[in-house]
Amino acid sequence: MSTPELVTVTIDERQVQVPKGTGIVETAAAAGIEIPVFCYEPRLGAAIGACRMCLVEVEGMPPKPQAGCTLTAQDGMVVKTARTSEMARVAQNATLEFILVNHPLDCPVCDKGGECPLQDLTFRYGPGSTRMTFEKRTFEKPIPISPTISIDRERCILCYRCTRFSESVSEDNQLVALNRGAQTMIATFEDEPYTGAFSGNVTELCPVGALLPTQPRFHIRPWEFQSVPTVCGLCPVGCNIDANQREGKLRRILSRNHPEIDEGWLCDKGRFAFTHLYADDRITDPLRRVRQRGLEEISWDEALDDAERLLREAGGRIAVALSGSETNEQAYALAKLVRTGLGAHTAMLPEEVGEGLDAFRAPMSAIGDAELIVVLGDDPVVERAPIVDLWIRKARRAGAEVIQIGPAGDEQVAPGTTAQACRKLRRGELGDRLRASERAIVIWSGAGAGGGSHLAALARDLGFADKPGCGAFYLPETSNGRGVAAGWAAASDEEGAEPEPLGLLIVSGDEAAANPNVRALAERAERVIATTMFHSLAVGWADLVLPGTSYLERDGTYVNLEGRIQRLRRTTVPPAPDELAWLAQLAARFDVELSPYASLVFMELSERAFDGVTYEDLGEEARLPARVPVEAVPKESRDEPAPAKAGKGELQLLRFRPLFSGPAVERVDELQFQRPAPEVELSARDALRLDVKRGDPLLIRSNGTSVELRAAVNKRLKTGVVRIAEEHARDLHPIVEVSKLD
Amino acid sequence: MTDVIVLAGADERDLTQLDEYRAVGGYAQLERARGMAPAAVIDELNGANLRGRGGAFFATGRKMQFIPSKEQNPRPHYVCINADESEPGTFKDREIMNRVPHRLIEGALIAAHAVDSQHVFIYIRGEYLDPFESLRAALEQAREADLLDGVTIVLHRGAGAYICGEESGLLESLEGKRGQARSRPPFPAISGLYASPTLINNVETIATIPKVLELGGAAYAKIGAPPDSTGTRLFCVSGNVVRGGNYELPMGISMREVIYDLAGGIPDGRALKAVIPGGSSMPILTADQIDVPLEHDALRALDTFLGAAAVIVVDERACMVQLGLRVAQFYMHESCGKCTPCREGTRWMVQLLEAIEAGDAKHSQLDLLLDVCDRILGKCLCPLGDAAAMPVASYVVKFRDEFRAHIDQGGCPFGGESSLEGLFAPVDQHTHHPVVEEGAPA
Repeated sequence: MSTPELVTVTIDERQVQVPKGTGIVETAAAAGIEIPVFCYEPRLGAAIGACRMCLVEVEGMPPKPQAGCTLTAQDGMVVKTARTSEMARVAQNATLEFILVNHPLDCPVCDKGGECPLQDLTFRYGPGSTRMTFEKRTFEKPIPISPTISIDRERCILCYRCTRFSESVSEDNQLVALNRGAQTMIATFEDEPYTGAFSGNVTELCPVGALLPTQPRFHIRPWEFQSVPTVCGLCPVGCNIDANQREGKLRRILSRNHPEIDEGWLCDKGRFAFTHLYADDRITDPLRRVRQRGLEEISWDEALDDAERLLREAGGRIAVALSGSETNEQAYALAKLVRTGLGAHTAMLPEEVGEGLDAFRAPMSAIGDAELIVVLGDDPVVERAPIVDLWIRKARRAGAEVIQIGPAGDEQVAPGTTAQACRKLRRGELGDRLRASERAIVIWSGAGAGGGSHLAALARDLGFADKPGCGAFYLPETSNGRGVAAGWAAASDEEGAEPEPLGLLIVSGDEAAANPNVRALAERAERVIATTMFHSLAVGWADLVLPGTSYLERDGTYVNLEGRIQRLRRTTVPPAPDELAWLAQLAARFDVELSPYASLVFMELSERAFDGVTYEDLGEEARLPARVPVEAVPKESRDEPAPAKAGKGELQLLRFRPLFSGPAVERVDELQFQRPAPEVELSARDALRLDVKRGDPLLIRSNGTSVELRAAVNKRLKTGVVRIAEEHARDLHPIVEVSKLD
Repeated sequence: MTDVIVLAGADERDLTQLDEYRAVGGYAQLERARGMAPAAVIDELNGANLRGRGGAFFATGRKMQFIPSKEQNPRPHYVCINADESEPGTFKDREIMNRVPHRLIEGALIAAHAVDSQHVFIYIRGEYLDPFESLRAALEQAREADLLDGVTIVLHRGAGAYICGEESGLLESLEGKRGQARSRPPFPAISGLYASPTLINNVETIATIPKVLELGGAAYAKIGAPPDSTGTRLFCVSGNVVRGGNYELPMGISMREVIYDLAGGIPDGRALKAVIPGGSSMPILTADQIDVPLEHDALRALDTFLGAAAVIVVDERACMVQLGLRVAQFYMHESCGKCTPCREGTRWMVQLLEAIEAGDAKHSQLDLLLDVCDRILGKCLCPLGDAAAMPVASYVVKFRDEFRAHIDQGGCPFGGESSLEGLFAPVDQHTHHPVVEEGAPA
């Protein structure tokens, strides 16, 4: 890497050295001087110079104010801001006066009040009174542009941050500006709701109270918020967030920019799904099954007695089903209890997640910097790890080539054959190009990854280990599957055979409780202890239900898809003691030493699994651990289930788990519109063959079970494949027949 | 008359026909230019000191020199011709396209050669149906006569927005985006249409190029008011004159000559009150300033500009507050909404002018109006805000007593007597562009 040329710029008589081409706003900031902005936001692409807040005087340029945001540092440049230039001061004051001419001064009842850039900049640079004596422009307001976001067009200052986000970051192209001049307004196309995985980001980009989240409406008094820095626990990306609570209740989730992970973007699930904490069917007390009468609430003392009894009765014939959303500490604590205390070593992990990719790891931001990206797998990236989708889009906008290999890819392969496609990639032209590139990325999005080992074998073959700009990413299905596996493994070196008959099944968490395989296991178990947040999940078949907590209610750590360990903080008090608290008490009854404090559990776990790093080392912006030596890459898994083969007239079913699904999303009214429509996607050729048009009702049958869904045509989908969201596919088998309903 | 250049021959012949145009030497300069090195063509234009006729008066040859070579930037190079003539008071490009369309096409092909481009776009105002048909027919003839030599010329009809006559708004619109100005730099020569090097010029500028080559740069530079205001302009004379219309005249002719000798003076013996020299966006001249020669430097000395050479003559019947309101309403209506001072300021200007006209304003609001104009001027993303602020401020400054009288008398002193007849149409009377036949080639 060549070092960029340094240039000297004078800002308000202060000299500062910055790399040539640095934005003048940033250059001034480096000199400790503010150039105020509204529309300028480097994450949205090139500066547009629209709001005119950043006007400065530049020596040697035409004798009128220049938009600082559109200028870059050149050697010898002399810039004067409002501090030293009357021209700039008047210009900035004018911009604010013009903005306020039509802005309603309803700050006392505006949710943005107190954290509003317009308020702040008016205070610093604006006029103290108004000269506007005429009627202000009015619009109908507030208008919900979706169930999660409302728009107040009178407050809008038309900085176009939101439309630029929609056009050039999420690329959903749903927010547009209508009309012209003073009548310009932000709208969605044809008043359709703003649907998309990332819509909520516009509420943070908006520099005024125009685009606001509906959930905390009239509850936002920013100075009364307690803001807790933590990490989202709803997918393996691990976006950094600030959780805002007021009067003990969580009101809002904001992004907390980690430039290597999320660049300050959040998906709508991470942003809006938090209200599931307050769902009506939240379990707050332990529940015991009573013969004939269902479940009754019991005290914690009784619950611990029951749990102890159930554990002792099982005599070690115990299996644990984990969710992959437990903290590392929780997984370790549970493992320590059953493994060292009871000699039970059988765990059902949600998926195999290996460490093979640690030799090729890179920050997610490396995806954005790549020139060549290959995405393998059956699932759309956005459904598994939404922010990764944004990084890929960013790279593509910068000119990167993105090649998708999958059932709906640029290169179409059958569902379940990703491993073959991955091996094929090592040979051939594309493999050569990956090998030749210094900035190539391979991503696996879907099942059958063998814990990432297929991808690791590919990355090794491509020589990625020696190229820091190249990386391999597996997108796990669960948010902390890696950490849970590590925590489980760290508790003991012993192994045990699967108990038969199964005396006790411990179901840890809602995802495990919702897993059909876990339910099947529960039917074989003599007794079941389940820890869930919600009533509807395990209460039908558990003997003892203990209240579960959410990622927002726990202290601990998660390992994200990069292999980065990040800290979770308790952002609000859970309605019941968290898992570590009662696990510690239960452990004491079996003479297992276990702290109820996550920090102490982590110290113990870290010695065994994470090279002794401490919470202090992790900090609030966790670093990515160094790559491990390539020699440590485990062998490629040979575990490849044969993909189902469709016969004549049959189609192969591709299920996917939509981003907007799962126990949390199901409990948030405002997110229901984002859930997938009851649709079956057909390839263009199959649609033609079956004479099916979009919206036609179809019957999808397999081996004794059937569902009715509307047709959708996906031109990218491979012929012979139908795609259905998990929640609509229900019990369908992998091979289906499709027929029209009249 | 030797000084008729752009419209030369059009009075004697039907120059919409290719053979007629050829009979007056048409396309000979294209052939000659194609035998010249591009740099040599540009040298001729620089020698002529040909300046942009759209209003900004930028040197055409220099603009071409800003276009990087194909080696420096291998992306396609584009030539865009701005035929979105929308400044109130202008109608010169319409006449050029109606009467000498081949001269425009020839100029476009020479410009394409000069900047090594294979792609020409002519962005034509949507309301201009006749000029569009004329240009389309001429283009068809040129195509059949194999004059294009691999260059494509696309006629693109606008949808009725003043901002799309601003070069960067035009490029956005041409790309299929919302018509809004772009921040510059980068200038179009470096990153214009589809982020590629783009030459963008007004119709009149391009249509002048063949004649510059024919006469030779040095000879052309002697016409008009050298050194800067060389050549002729099509003066669009409108408003309260006997014979309005386009007059092709050498720059440097006096305003008085134009109004009284050529356009026949003011009808019915009424007195001249003021005159706008370059289109509705230009600061106004009072009746005692009309001995000014119509060339850049002399007008600059009077704090105004030749602009697009649209001379709008205002007689004694006009109320300057009403005229200011009409101008401000136009620019409020046409503000694209992208930058703050123009979007909010033009609306505020209209509100202030309405209050003054209605007699509801205070004296302090005259200064406020001037301050609002000042706070727009030079602070916007594109010249549209200036186009509103400059003329209105000039009306207030030069006719301050008339503005004060509105306030003192609690209403317009002209009452029902005021007439803005012929002084560009109010916004609510703007016509919409006619629909062209389906499947029309462009």
